[in-house]
Amino acid sequence: MEVNQDTISHLAQLSNFALTDDESQRLVKDIKEIVNYISQLDELDTNGVEPTYQVFEMENIWREDEILPQEADREALLSLAKEVKDNQIKVPKVL
Amino acid sequence: MTEKVKYIPTIGIECHVQLCTKTKLFSEVDNDARQKSPNSCVSPVDYGLPGMLPRLNKMAVRYAVRAGLALNSEINLQSRFDRKHYFYPDLPKGYQITQLFHPIIGAGYVELPSGSKIRIEHAHLEEDAGKLSHESGDSLVDLNRAGTPLVEIVSMPDIHSAVEAREYTKELWRVMTYAGVTFGDLYNGNMRFDVNISIAPESSDKLGTRAEVKNLNSFRSVERAVEYEIKRQSKLLGKGEKVVQETRGWSDATGETTSQRSKEEAQDYRYMPEPDIPPLNLRPEVVDEERANLPIMPAEYRAKFNDILGSDTVEILLDYRPLMEKLAELDDNKAAKKIANLFSSVLLAEENASLLNDELPSKEQLLDLVAMNEKNELSSTGMKEVFLKFFDPEMHYKDTLTIAKELGVVQENNLEELEKIVDAVLAKPETQQAQADFKAGQEKVIGFLVGQVMKESHGKANPSAVQDILRKKLQ
Repeated sequence: MEVNQDTISHLAQLSNFALTDDESQRLVKDIKEIVNYISQLDELDTNGVEPTYQVFEMENIWREDEILPQEADREALLSLAKEVKDNQIKVPKVL
Repeated sequence: MTEKVKYIPTIGIECHVQLCTKTKLFSEVDNDARQKSPNSCVSPVDYGLPGMLPRLNKMAVRYAVRAGLALNSEINLQSRFDRKHYFYPDLPKGYQITQLFHPIIGAGYVELPSGSKIRIEHAHLEEDAGKLSHESGDSLVDLNRAGTPLVEIVSMPDIHSAVEAREYTKELWRVMTYAGVTFGDLYNGNMRFDVNISIAPESSDKLGTRAEVKNLNSFRSVERAVEYEIKRQSKLLGKGEKVVQETRGWSDATGETTSQRSKEEAQDYRYMPEPDIPPLNLRPEVVDEERANLPIMPAEYRAKFNDILGSDTVEILLDYRPLMEKLAELDDNKAAKKIANLFSSVLLAEENASLLNDELPSKEQLLDLVAMNEKNELSSTGMKEVFLKFFDPEMHYKDTLTIAKELGVVQENNLEELEKIVDAVLAKPETQQAQADFKAGQEKVIGFLVGQVMKESHGKANPSAVQDILRKKLQ
């Protein structure tokens, strides 16, 4: 897999990151190395192997449909937001 | 002059149905956000705080199975969840938990009132996002809706007109509300539609480029948006221009769609298996149990009642499921026809709208009502009066005959009694002229004489029996 400046810009855009040129160049280098390292796995033949959805071999982990009191209330949760208005989280205008 | 090219529209619809579970899909908070103060139904899971573990709601899985059965779909006993990543303020986690590769509901179909079938490609479980409202310069985020369980129903591109698009969305609404998996409150966004529309020349065997109109929340706006898109796209192609593949928004106020963002860069959702939610592996019994929970569906009612009641009446009554259930409960076609008539002409009349919230009359009351009418013990007017009293809190527990007697609307069918009344009327001075006119051949005067007898009997005489007696006596 080819990692270049475009790959990084694309990922930054998808994640809504504003990167400086310097950061961007460093990321190209770092991510290239990470991808190279992981690419060793490509040597394995995974044909016919089911993708790993999870490693504990659990299934049907579910709960009853009952309302339970929450540890964190609205105030606690809203206090994490940068700006709040009328009990809502205020963000720059999006369409 | 060039001949005008005929374009065939092709339409596929994605519908998001909010399930009416008590709690959200992955957190134990109140799922009914209607009329709730913003961010009052939220938990750390909905906020996407680091380290939070989503816990799957069993009931949402049950409802999804039931919804699938209502869509005549194959239920996939094994299904899985995936993460779909995108960055938007209504989705604090930065990804939506959905089912891309292994959805719980497989191929099925929805049968429209016309009988034509729209195929369902698949349907899957996923979580809803929060709600954004926009003001100048800012957007406000309310996460009450974030994490509400959705079933997204994806149709095949089997729809070919604006009317059919409306019929399909309406029928989906009926099917889902009959199945009891959603409140079906369109005003509050319980069902929302994304409509894909393309047009292609009749002669072409390839589909045109499609535009997607997102987030429609009424059948009417689905129809209007499709109409508008067909016109817009035909115009473009007519001028030799191209339709751009893009997402468009609809405005009910202007009646137009406008471009929201063109997909100059293909979306990249970076799907990956969801490690927090282990796969589902349902027992087949779960499907059987949900099948048993499914009531009689609209298509079955049509098959049962269209011939007896006419499809127009059936379509009206289908909007009120308890009425259809009651008709089916009667298990008597002849009675069903008369009662359906009372339902549509009396109960659904505007002035009686409040009665629809009341308990319906019992099977016995209704069958007795029809029987009394057939035996001429109740006129059609009397039948209506008694029917209305079935909803009277003072009367509703009484049987039909008692109510009819109390109202004094039981018709007199005893011929001897009737003859006495007729004789009394014929002896009155004010009827002499009418009697003479009738004998002289003025047929219409019989109506006046019947009216006089009815009056004398305080409305209780059976008018057709009265007429027979009068004719015999005036020969």
